[in-house]
Amino acid sequence: MEVLSTIFNVALIVATIRTTAPILLVALGGSFTTKAGIFNIGLEGQMLIAAFFAVLGSIWTGSSLGGLVIGVAAALVFALVFAVLVISFRANEVVVGLALNILAGGMTVSLMKAIFGTRGSIVGRGIVGLPKVHIPGARDLLGPYAQLISGYTPLIYVAFIAVPLLVLIYGRTRLGLYIRVVGEKPEAAEALGISIVKVRYIAALLCGLLAGLAGAHMSLGYITMFTENMSSGRGFMAVAILIFSGGDPWRVLAGCLLFGFADSLSLRLQTFGFPSYLVLAVPYAVALTALFALSWKARPKFIRETIETMQRALSIHPAKTETPDAPSNRS
Amino acid sequence: MKTALLPDGLIRTLTGQALAFLVALSLGAVIILLIDENPVTVFTTLMRGAFGDAEKIAGTLLQTTPILICGIAACIGLRGGMFNVGIEGQLFLGGFAAAWVGFAFALPPVLHVLVAIGCAVLAGAAWVAIPAFFRVRYGTNEVVSTILANYIATLLTSYFTIFLFKRPGGWSETPPILPTAYLPELFSFSRLNIGLLIGLFLAIATAAFFRWASTGYAVTMVGSAPKFAEYGGINVRKVGFGVLLASGAVGGLAGGIETLGVHHRFMEGFAPGFGFDGLIAALLANGSPIGTIITALFFGALRAGSLLLEVDTTASREIITVIQALIILAVSADLMMRRRGDRTGERRWKF
Repeated sequence: MEVLSTIFNVALIVATIRTTAPILLVALGGSFTTKAGIFNIGLEGQMLIAAFFAVLGSIWTGSSLGGLVIGVAAALVFALVFAVLVISFRANEVVVGLALNILAGGMTVSLMKAIFGTRGSIVGRGIVGLPKVHIPGARDLLGPYAQLISGYTPLIYVAFIAVPLLVLIYGRTRLGLYIRVVGEKPEAAEALGISIVKVRYIAALLCGLLAGLAGAHMSLGYITMFTENMSSGRGFMAVAILIFSGGDPWRVLAGCLLFGFADSLSLRLQTFGFPSYLVLAVPYAVALTALFALSWKARPKFIRETIETMQRALSIHPAKTETPDAPSNRS
Repeated sequence: MKTALLPDGLIRTLTGQALAFLVALSLGAVIILLIDENPVTVFTTLMRGAFGDAEKIAGTLLQTTPILICGIAACIGLRGGMFNVGIEGQLFLGGFAAAWVGFAFALPPVLHVLVAIGCAVLAGAAWVAIPAFFRVRYGTNEVVSTILANYIATLLTSYFTIFLFKRPGGWSETPPILPTAYLPELFSFSRLNIGLLIGLFLAIATAAFFRWASTGYAVTMVGSAPKFAEYGGINVRKVGFGVLLASGAVGGLAGGIETLGVHHRFMEGFAPGFGFDGLIAALLANGSPIGTIITALFFGALRAGSLLLEVDTTASREIITVIQALIILAVSADLMMRRRGDRTGERRWKF
């Protein structure tokens, strides 16, 4: 029990929130493309290139905001290339996405060697990290639990606020509606005179924006450094989440919290002497298991059929009771 | 299949490919300029490093071997409509399995190699079996599941190597395999081994299988027109599962050959990126095993050349990854710009 209480405590929740944020940002970005009907496997590359350029930008400009802007700009360029090739040239999404991931990996290492003359990682050298936001009064109100809501870097708040924001965008705005129509029924969108190409471009660029923020948070958030391939599959996990959530923001949040938890738990377990290689594999294993277990189509046939028959029974039943009523009222 | 055999289509494909190459190389030149290097120097160094003398050519072929075999694995998947991005993971597990048989058992010479290779093949197929099952049974996207499986495979083999089978006092590598499990070498001056011939044979056999065998035709149809295949009485799920298993098995074979032929042991990160290079080579060859021989040779040359590049210039060897990615992007854009109607009918890589 003592071991359990040292593993599961407030610090673990805080760590979960911290590790959830980048994957949440990138997954929410991917939600735009998923909803618009594009399978975007290039999230990983967009994150990685943003992480690199955020570090570079913060060294050049001497400010974390400058780094953030330059990082996001780099991710937007990648998103634009993806959009041009996939939407305008109608290239295969998987091929383009994978190629962009490989390109991001090669480019960051090559540029790192050319600019800093090193391989592996960039540490120090005047990188300015994002400041921490301390909510005034939080400590007085909540005491030791204040760290649950205060003291994070700004992008963590952005990530969690973005969830309801996306729900509003999809549910209440014209753009959100257009994105959904284009993704679900492109023919209908075309018939309504909505430009599919334009809406998909917007979705792809919004995705690049959020993936860029995620990348910048990786290299300027809690650790201010860039290492080779530092996104280490976060983008792919986000894609896994997107597949079984269908891009719905609340489900994306649930999935990301699961991975954030798995991630922070694995870091925690490492300190207890479990072999680090196996512990490091935990988040990937969780992602894979969740993908297999929760994939929308993966529901076993009998559950799907039961749900369908129940829905049918529920929808037919009120109809039956209404029909005899209607004529009697009229007569 | 039909269009690929028509000379008209072939010519158009080849010109398109050549144009894409030019665009990619010029973009690559721009990036090389960005990192303060001379593109001409870089390209000539690459060529010198790849084909400078007999030893360098052997080095190129040595790099080509795993790319070719991984490329064939990808080809099998692509033909059957499956994107096996997990070749990297299958390669690692295959490599480890072969090394394990190589150092843990003492067997007579030829048998030892065969058993080790067999285990590598089994390991590769087993690693892809779970994603393959969920793909054909429930339609779980195989791209993402195999990518995630890659990360697990890499960490798992590292765990095996470092925690279970570490050579005492050595680097993070297993004990060396017994000489009975070595693959025969082709020349005295290079580690180039019989694996290259296995790869070439496999490419031709795979091409012949898709060209002449009725099962091969069934696989192609499942990949390109699943509804037609189902109507024709083919069990689409079974074929899809078989395709992924075969692809994984060949991926495992690539790892086994790399271990038994080149390194003679398994070490952490023993074959970085060969799986991805193979996939790219197969994509560039549009899923044709014979074409993959050429593209794999090209990528092998780039890899071999990049070793000299790192010595002779300040550029990093990852610059070749950039060039590879640019080529794929340029080819994917299908720069020949066919008419729109043409495109919607038959999209490139609509596997």
